[in-house]
Formats: sequence, structure tokens, C-alpha cells
Amino acid sequence: MQEDGLVKGEEFPAADPSQDYSIVARGLLKSFGKLKALNDLSVRMPRGTTYCLLGPNGSGKTTFIRAVAGLLRLDGGDLSVLGEPVHSVNRVYPRIGYMTQHKALYPDLTLRENMEFYAGLYGIEGWERDERISELLEMVDLADHIDRITGALSGGMYQRLSLACTLIHDPDLLLLDEPTVGVDPILREAFWRFFDGLAERGATILITTHLMDEAERCKIVGYMRAGRMLAEGSPEDLKRLAGLRPILRLWVKDPQASASSLAADGLEVEVVGGVLQVRIEEHGRLKEILEGVEPSDLRLVEPSLADAFLRLSEGGSR
Amino acid sequence: MMGPKINSRRVLVVARRVVRQLKRDRRTIGLITLAPVFLMILFGYALSGEMAGINLGVVDLGGQDALRDHLATVDDFDLLRLGSESDAERLIVEGRLHGAVVIRGEEVRVLLDGSSPQITASIMTEVKNGLLPLKGLQNGGRMDVGGELEDVEGGWLGGDGIVGGSSGPGGLGSDGDIGICAALGGYGGPGAAPEVVQRYIRGYDLEMMDSVGPAVLGLVVFFFTFITAAISFLRERTQGSLEKFMVSPLSRPEMVAGYLLGFSLFALLQSATTLLVVVLAFGVPMEGSPLTAFGVILLLGAGGLVLGAFLSNFAKTEFQVVQFIPIVILPQVVLSGVWWPLESIPAFLQPISYALPLTYSSDALRAVMLKGAGISEILVPDLLFLVGFFVLAFGAATLMLKREVG
Ligand SMILES: Nc1ncnc2c1ncn2[C@@H]1O[C@H](COP(=O)(O)OP(=O)(O)OP(=O)(O)O)[C@@H](O)[C@H]1O
Ligand SMILES: [Mg+2]
Repeated sequence: MQEDGLVKGEEFPAADPSQDYSIVARGLLKSFGKLKALNDLSVRMPRGTTYCLLGPNGSGKTTFIRAVAGLLRLDGGDLSVLGEPVHSVNRVYPRIGYMTQHKALYPDLTLRENMEFYAGLYGIEGWERDERISELLEMVDLADHIDRITGALSGGMYQRLSLACTLIHDPDLLLLDEPTVGVDPILREAFWRFFDGLAERGATILITTHLMDEAERCKIVGYMRAGRMLAEGSPEDLKRLAGLRPILRLWVKDPQASASSLAADGLEVEVVGGVLQVRIEEHGRLKEILEGVEPSDLRLVEPSLADAFLRLSEGGSR
Repeated sequence: MMGPKINSRRVLVVARRVVRQLKRDRRTIGLITLAPVFLMILFGYALSGEMAGINLGVVDLGGQDALRDHLATVDDFDLLRLGSESDAERLIVEGRLHGAVVIRGEEVRVLLDGSSPQITASIMTEVKNGLLPLKGLQNGGRMDVGGELEDVEGGWLGGDGIVGGSSGPGGLGSDGDIGICAALGGYGGPGAAPEVVQRYIRGYDLEMMDSVGPAVLGLVVFFFTFITAAISFLRERTQGSLEKFMVSPLSRPEMVAGYLLGFSLFALLQSATTLLVVVLAFGVPMEGSPLTAFGVILLLGAGGLVLGAFLSNFAKTEFQVVQFIPIVILPQVVLSGVWWPLESIPAFLQPISYALPLTYSSDALRAVMLKGAGISEILVPDLLFLVGFFVLAFGAATLMLKREVG
């Protein structure tokens, strides 16, 4: 795991002085009993980016977000948020929007009442409040339900309202812990367009997800495992760093025989479900391969981010 | 970190939300308003209406053998033979007898402590039954016992003075505060039938209800605010809104203060209904200012709320909140002098009594309602303790919310 550009705690690169960082974390430590939830975690998040945290369940994503939100007493490390060291982070509270993995809504209130409550906490009142509420409910496509009781909403609607409440005060730093769980694909697309718009206007968005297609949309992706940052970079960087190349899937008469002959030529091959898969090192050998096995059908598969992470975490302890 | 400024707008925002939530919760509203009524009625009748084991003194100065023999056959009565009427009186005052029958020739005097309509009725019925054979001979008819009983009860509930202090004017079909004795006299006429005189040693007063009523008022409000607050705060935590508050401008004291404000509306509603039941239906006096009584109740309710907010930190589920009831509520029910005087509580338990808020609210409410005390008279120690308890629990509750940062 020592490939160039891979970020690990001890080789945390120097900050770019021209860059304005919303979050700077260095060597964060947090243990729950014996369990090291954050194990020397270092991250830097430039302002105006969408930053996606990926990682298996229990890898410490929520713990990190809670640390950024000032909800965690860290065992060690330095953390500053929006330019303030985190122990005085309450000064920047009003500029943070935090969407927890719990929904944080009152099921016995209407949608409007829930939003009015959160607006009130931030001192947003009068027509400004009403305008903001209808704008956000429009965005999450709940405007028609404004006077319904929140408890009667479907799971995905609940999630959407929770997001709308988080955005009520137009925060500079958004901490979104799995905001799209249970949201249908069309709305997810709308959400992401909205996030992109927010980032363009200078907001920093830290988001966790288990969906690779969402991660692909982010400027920076960080892959966490066991409280550490395993890899970090743009989705393209990560694929390149993982040394991933396209895979050629070939339908041939005798996959096993063809596989051994190609392997003899020094190619990386695999038979998956009766289909021959060849990793393309250089495109120059494409013709040679095709002539050798005479496939009845073929397909070229671009590597995915998921492949990249599988590759990157090979050998990494889980 | 300590002592952030309280922004009244945010307090109002929280209060408004709490009110909106409670308003929508019909069942809780019903519980808040009706449960105290139900409880008071239950306490008022059931607890004072102990039918078996009535301690009845008998002072037999001769005559009316039939009555004496009849009383001895009644299972419910534990008879105690006494030498004089004054002995009987003393024992009734001391609470060791429920009543006494003094038989002196043609005169039968019934002494009653009046603490329970059931006991009064039962003694009077048996006295009449003991005299019936005589009447039967004289009048050749029976009298309507049921109607007479109602009279006694009416007199008690109406609370308009001593019932049948002496033999009333003779006459049939008497009603109102003319006692049974009067009716009997009327039936029998001044001939062979004995004259029955009914005497209330403590007046009509319902000693039990008078002293229990004000205290139960506090108990009911404390119980409901405690439980509702504990569950509400638990929900704030489990549903994640508490975490959101901590990343918002809302401070912990503002949050707790908002709850206090929102709940006080319902505590007011609840104490008003309970107060009405206690005063109107049970005739418990309201000598002092109802506003002072409200003040005491609200102060106690506020204490219950912050205590609930504090203890909710030690519960993971609503089920666990319910487990606090035996720990927090029951000792107060038993040890804070709601039902019986503090002096009757074993000495080794009394220190606990003096640490319970309900001890002080009961004392204060009794002073205000029964003795007409003003604020200055209940300031020390009652109000001081209640304020101190509130401040302490408020501090603890806001500090505990901080523990969320783990
Ligand atoms: N308050 C806590 N007490 C004890 N252990 C905790 C606490 N919070 C988190 N943990 C543990 O820390 C580890 C990291 O948890 P975290 O919630 O950060 O994971 P995650 O990456 O968000 O997982 P998921 O994808 O499931 O949301 C887990 O093993 C979890 O059990
Ligand atoms: Mg998580």
C-alpha cells in the first residue's frame, strides 16, 4: 500500500498554502474501550469540494463526522473546522449542517412544523423562513406533503425531510451521514445536482455513502478502513493508483483451454462464470488476443471505483 | 462552556414545539386532565371507606339491651367496652376508635369521627337495626333506611356544617343536614322509643381528604411531569435531535428552559383540574390564595421535569424510564407525608423524607389550602427547598446533556 499519492497518516502531505481548508484533521485518535474507531486518521478538506467518505460498516466514518461536529472527545490529534480548533468549535456551530444517521425529526409534528422548529433554532423567521421552507421542500419533492404528519411519511420521504431540515440555515459546511439511504434514483440525482450547486457556491460537503456511483460524483474520495484513511484522491486518481486497466470479457468455446494458452503468453486471465476475462495491459496486444481465441462475443469493461477499492485494500487488514 | 447566555427566542421555539407535540397527543392530554380526577375519586372514596374492622366503643350505662346485643353480633364491629362518654371521646380523638355508642336509659348517643361516610353510615345503620324491634312494635312498619343514609352522605359532601349535632326538630321525611337521630325521634315519638343523638367528635370534617387532597395534588403533577419529561428527553436522544442541537446555536439551558415553559402550560391545566376536583367535589377548603397554590404546584412540577430530564440520561429505552417509577415516585408516595404524618414514619426513614421534594410541597400546599398561609409563611423551608431542588436538578440535567459528547 505504498504507491505514490496514497495518503496515510504518517505520510500526510504538506498543506497547499493557496488552498482554503474547511477541515484539517491530523493524527486523530479515538478508542471505545479496546476498539480503535479512529486510528491515526488524517484528512484535509478544501473549501468548496464534495468529499466522499467510503468504507465498510464500522470503519469509523460516523465517528469522524461526529468528531468534526464537536460531538466527540478525541483521544489525540489535531482537528480544526472552518478555521477554528475543534475544542472551540461551538463558535462555528451555526455554520455547520449536520445530518445524522438517525433522522432527528419529530414524528408527531407536520413537515412544516418540523422545519419551522429547526429554522427557529437558527433564528430564521418570518417570510424568509417560509420562503426557505418551501424552496427546500420543493427540492426534496415534498412540497405537496407540507401539512402531513411526519410520522406518516415513507422511509425515503423521512430521509428527504431530514435533509431539508439540515439545509435550513444554508450552512457552509455540510456533514451528511448517508443522506441518500432509501431515496429513489431520480431524487438521488436531484440531490447530487443540488450538492454540486452548493459546492460551486463555496460550501464544503462531507458525505458518507455505500454507493459507488455516488462516490464517483465527488471531487475527492477517501476510503477508510479500521479507523484509518487507506486511500484518498479523485475517483480517476484512485483507479489509476490501483493500477486498474480495462478488462476484456470474451465468450469462447473452451474458456479453460484458452485461459491457459493466454496465461502462457504472460497475460493476466481469469474464468468467471464460463466467461474468459483478460486484463488489458497495452492496447497493442488486443489484436493478438482476439486472433488467438476467436471469441463468439466480447465486451470491454472499464474498471469501477469498487474494483479500485478492492484492489487497494487487498492485503490491507480489515 | 458553563453558563451560556439564554436566548429567549430559542427558548420560545422549543416551548412552542413541545406544546405543538403535546397538543396533538390526545391521549396524553386526556391522561393529564382526567387521571388526576380519577385518582382523587379513587383516593377519596376507596381509601377512607374501610368497611371491615370498625372500632366501636360501647358505653353501657343501662337500658337498651336489644341494641347492645345487636351491636355485638355485627361482624364488622370490634367492640370496646368503655366506662364513660369522655373516654370514648378521647379515644376517637386519638384515632383509636371510629365511633362509640353511649347507652343511657332512654337516650342513645352515637359519637362519630366522621372521617369516612361509609363508616358513619354503617354505624348508624346498625344502631337503627338494633332499635328496630322496638319501633316495629310501636309503628308496625319499617323505615326507609336507604333514604336516611343518603342524608348523612349529603351532609358530609356538602360540607355545610356539623350534621345533626343534637336531636333535630321532629318530623318525617326530613332532609338536608337534619340527622338520623331526628328522623328516628320522629318515628318513635317521645314514648318508649329511645332518643338517638348523633355527635361528630371532629365535626363533619373529612380529616383524611383534607390533608391528603393538597398533597395528592402535588404528587399527581410531579408524577406526570416527571414521566413525560423523562420520555421526551429520551426520545430527543434516541431520535438524534439532541446531537443536532449540539451542532446548533441552541444551548442546553435553553433547551431545558424551553421544555419547562412548554410543559408549564400543561402542568397548569393539570393542577387546575385536580384543584377543582379536590375543592369542589371533596370540599377541601381553599383558605389561602389559589395563585400561591398554583405557584407551589408549578415549582414542584418544574422540579419533576428537570429530574426527569436528568434521569433520562440513565435510560436507554422507554421501558427503562418506566423502571424509574418505583425508585423515584414510590418513595415519595410512601415517605413524604402524603397519606400519614411524617412523625408516624420510622425515625430511621425520616432523613429520606426530608430529602424529598414532595414532603415540602405537601406541607406548603396544606398550609396554603387549609390554614390560609401566604408566601412568606411557606418560604422557609418549603419554597426554599423546592427552589433548591429545582436549581440542583436543572444544573444536573444540563450537565448530563453535555455527557452526550462521548
Ligand atoms: N459511542 C460508541 N461506543 C462504543 N463504540 C462505538 C461508539 N460509536 C462508535 N463505536 C464503534 O466504533 C466503530 C466505528 O463506528 P462508526 O459508527 O464510525 O462506523 P461507520 O463507518 O459509520 O459504519 P456504518 O457504515 O455502519 O455507518 C464501530 O465498531 C462502532 O461499534
Ligand atoms: Mg455510520
